[in-house]
Amino acid sequence: MLLCALLSIIFLFLMLLFIAREGMQALLTFGMDFVTGHVWDTNLNLYGALPLIYGSLMVVAGALMVAVPLGVATAIFVEEVLPFSLRDLIKSLIELLASIPSVIYGFIGVLFLAPRVASIFGLSSGTVALTASLVLAVMTVPTIVSISGETIAAVPKEYKEAALALGATKWQTVKDVVIPTAKSGILASVMLGFGRAIGETVAVLMVAGNVAMIPTPPWNFLSPVYTLTAVIAMQMGEAAIGTLEYSALFGLGLILFIITLIVNSLADILVKRGVKRLGG
Amino acid sequence: MAGKISEKVFFAILGVPTIICLAVFLWITSILLSGIGTLRLDLLTTSVLKGGFFEMIVGTAYLLLGATGVAGPIGVFAAIYLTEYARHGRLTRIIDQAINNLAGMPSIIIGLFGYTFFCRQLGLGISLAAGWLTLALMMLPIVIRGTEEAIKMVPNTFKEAALALGASKWETTKSITLPSAAPGIITSVLLGIARVAGETAAILFTACVLVTRGLPKSPFEPVMALAFNLFVKIVALGEPPEKVFGIALILFLLVISFAAVGIALRIYYRRKQPWLR
Repeated sequence: MLLCALLSIIFLFLMLLFIAREGMQALLTFGMDFVTGHVWDTNLNLYGALPLIYGSLMVVAGALMVAVPLGVATAIFVEEVLPFSLRDLIKSLIELLASIPSVIYGFIGVLFLAPRVASIFGLSSGTVALTASLVLAVMTVPTIVSISGETIAAVPKEYKEAALALGATKWQTVKDVVIPTAKSGILASVMLGFGRAIGETVAVLMVAGNVAMIPTPPWNFLSPVYTLTAVIAMQMGEAAIGTLEYSALFGLGLILFIITLIVNSLADILVKRGVKRLGG
Repeated sequence: MAGKISEKVFFAILGVPTIICLAVFLWITSILLSGIGTLRLDLLTTSVLKGGFFEMIVGTAYLLLGATGVAGPIGVFAAIYLTEYARHGRLTRIIDQAINNLAGMPSIIIGLFGYTFFCRQLGLGISLAAGWLTLALMMLPIVIRGTEEAIKMVPNTFKEAALALGASKWETTKSITLPSAAPGIITSVLLGIARVAGETAAILFTACVLVTRGLPKSPFEPVMALAFNLFVKIVALGEPPEKVFGIALILFLLVISFAAVGIALRIYYRRKQPWLR
C-alpha cells in the first residue's frame, strides 16, 4: 500500500529524469540560447524556444484576462447569491464544461470560432492567438470556478454573520469580508488555471495558427502563434530518435515540466495557507 | 431602500458571467447535437475500412478498461494508505504534493514521458499496453483524491465498532470502510474515465495509429481511438470538420455521459449518506 502511495512521487521523479535525459543533447548544444534563442527552425536545425515560450505565455495571458473575471464572478455568484437548491445544478453544469475533451474544443474552435474571428477582424485565417485565447478561456473557467468556489464556501459563517450584524449589506459583506478571506484560494485558482492553460495542447494547436515567431507588435493578438505544447505534439511524429530535433522537443517538455511544477506548488502553498488562516 | 435596490442590481450583474458560462456549454452541446442527424446507428458497428467507427469505439473502450484496471486498484490502495495507515508527517505531505503535481501535469508531458519510458525504455513500443500505463498516470490522482474523500466520509463510529469487536485494522478496512466508501470510489473511477476518455495528447505517440486492420490481437499492438482519429483527421489530413462530425459527436456523448453519471452520483451520495439520516 505504501508502494502504491509512493508511485506518484516515483513517477513524477522518473518523468523529470527521463525527459531531462532525452532533452540533454539540445540543452548542451545550445546552452542558454535554447531558452533565449529567437529562431525555431527545423530546416536550419536551430532550436531557440523564446518564440514558443512567448506564444504560450501570450495565449495564456489572453485566456486569463477573460477567464479570471468570468470565473471569480461566477464563483461568488454561485456560492453567495444563488439559492442552495440551484447551486449543485449550476456547479455540475460548469464541471461538465470542464470534462469536454480538448480535441472537441479544438473541433468547435476550427468549425465555428475561427471563421467568426476571421470575418469580424477581416483576416484571411481565423487561427490566431485571439482564437486560442478564447478557447483556452472557456477551458480554464471551470478550474477557477471550482477552486475559488471551494474557498469562498469555506469562509466561516460567523465572519459573514458578524458583518451582517454590524449592519453591512450583503454586497458589503461579500466585498469586504468574503473576498479578502478567500483571497489566497482565489489566487490559487488563478495559478491552477494558468497551469491548466499553459499545458493545454490539442485545442490550442488546432486554433493558434502555429507560426514560430513573436508577433509584431508583440501584443498583436490577431497574428498566429506557436506554443510549447503545440510544437511538441506536431513535431514528435516526424522527429527521428536521437536527432537534435528530437532532443529539442524534450527540452521544451522540460521547460513546460518546470513551469507546471512551480505553478502547481505555489498554488498548493496558497491553498494550505488559506486553510491554516481559517484555522482548518 | 436605495441600498437594497443597488445591491440587487449588483448581484444581478454578478450573475451575467454565470449565464455566459452556461450559455457556452449549451452552445457547444447544441452544435454537437445538431450533427446527430448525420449519425447512423449501423455505422457504430461498421468497420472503419467501410466508413464506420467500430474499431475506434472498441479501441477507446480497450484503452479505458486497461487504464482503469491499472489506476483503479493502485489509486484505491494509495488512498487507503494515506487516509487509514499513514502517520501524518513529512512523507504524507510530500506524497500529497506529488499527487497534486501529477494531477496538474499537462497531458503532453505525460505523453512524452510515456513514449520514452513505457514505449522505449520498457520496450512496449506504440501499443495498447503503453497507452494503458500512460492514461493510468492521468487517472491516478483523480482516483486517489476521490477515494480519499469517500473514505473520510465513513463515520469513525463504524470503524470503532468493528475494532471493538476485535477485528484487525485490515479486516475493518476491508469489510467496513471500503464497502461503505464504495459508491464514492466508483464515482471517482467514473470521473477518472471521463478525464481520459477524450484524451488525445497522452496517446498521440504512445498507443494510437490512424488505421488498424481489425482490432488489436494483443496488448502489444497499436490501437485506434476516437479522440486520436478526430485530431489527426482535422490537423494532419486536413479533412473538413463537417466530415468528422460523427466522431466528435460519439466522443462527446461518451465523455459527457461518464462525467454526468459521475457528478450526479457524487451529489447523490454526498446528500444522502445512509448513515447520516
